[in-house]
Amino acid sequence: MTTRTADELRNKQQMYYDDVSEGQMLPTYVLGPMTPTHVFRWSAAIENWHRIHYDQDFSIYHEGLPNILVNGSWKQSIMPGYLKDLCLPDGWMWKVSFQHRAMIVPGDTITCWAKVTNKYVKDGMGFVELETGMKTQDDIETCPGQGVIVLPLKGGRSIPYPFVPPQG
Amino acid sequence: MTTSGTKLTSEVKAVIGKTSEFSEAGWGVANKERNRRFTQAIMDPDPRYWDEDFAKTTRYREVIVPHLAGGGSGRAPWMTDDPVSWTFKENPVADGVRDAPVGRRRGGLPPVPTDLVRLLNAGNEIEMYKHPIMGDRMYSQSKYANIIERVGRDGSHMLIITTETYHWNQRGELCYINRGSSFRR
Repeated sequence: MTTRTADELRNKQQMYYDDVSEGQMLPTYVLGPMTPTHVFRWSAAIENWHRIHYDQDFSIYHEGLPNILVNGSWKQSIMPGYLKDLCLPDGWMWKVSFQHRAMIVPGDTITCWAKVTNKYVKDGMGFVELETGMKTQDDIETCPGQGVIVLPLKGGRSIPYPFVPPQG
Repeated sequence: MTTSGTKLTSEVKAVIGKTSEFSEAGWGVANKERNRRFTQAIMDPDPRYWDEDFAKTTRYREVIVPHLAGGGSGRAPWMTDDPVSWTFKENPVADGVRDAPVGRRRGGLPPVPTDLVRLLNAGNEIEMYKHPIMGDRMYSQSKYANIIERVGRDGSHMLIITTETYHWNQRGELCYINRGSSFRR
């Protein structure tokens, strides 16, 4: 299950810099429950042959892991995608960083979240700093991190594409 | 398994700052089919990735590709042997990645001289500037940005290796920067 559809993304209304405030929780995404098939599909798509993602015996008995693991590289694409969608249609997901603190395994349902920690305007663009994460159904934070998204101001200039960050 | 003694040896420290050749990334040419497989695998139905008519109405004016669609790829280069068979030829219980052609290549960087064999993703820091588009070829250059040591609760030593990779398209436009860290334990 995913909480977004193509039509929702096609018709998404712009979130402006003026719309967000420090401490605000932004809309979440829920993905899952994850299955071995999801993990296999990702490994096949990027041709990742690391056996901890599809060979359960190897993962448990050779590597000492609890199960096959949802790929870190998958999470690496999920978090930017989540922030990208928050910025649509005309904002920009500029920076994201995160640590893989806990393993995600088949059966887990993941909630991507973001909280506004700071905001400022530079060169007429609205920069919004975020605390981000990816929690399991048991409220375990698997992927704590930070991000910076760039949103237009109401009546302000458009965000350049390709994105050009302000100097200094 | 508990290992004793530092793993951050002078030989390991010597690779910090080593830079790879500027080279074509392993994903080949961006195309619709690859975009379909990738975006379905990340559960992102965004029509900007597939609907050409809609994409023309967006700020991008054309179908775009997720930034990381190429950089995270483990695709093996063309080689005389079958790359999977080759991966397990010397070690039938290999993990499938460390000794694989792409694992040995590591973006053209030399291997880190350590006896720590287990590999896990530790985290990433990513900066985005421009999406790849259909027909793009991606080029990259990597550097060992840092290697530090951590000691686990059980006394085992591990390395955290941070690799910084810049990704450009064939027009020389910077698409994204990825600083990826991995555990070697």
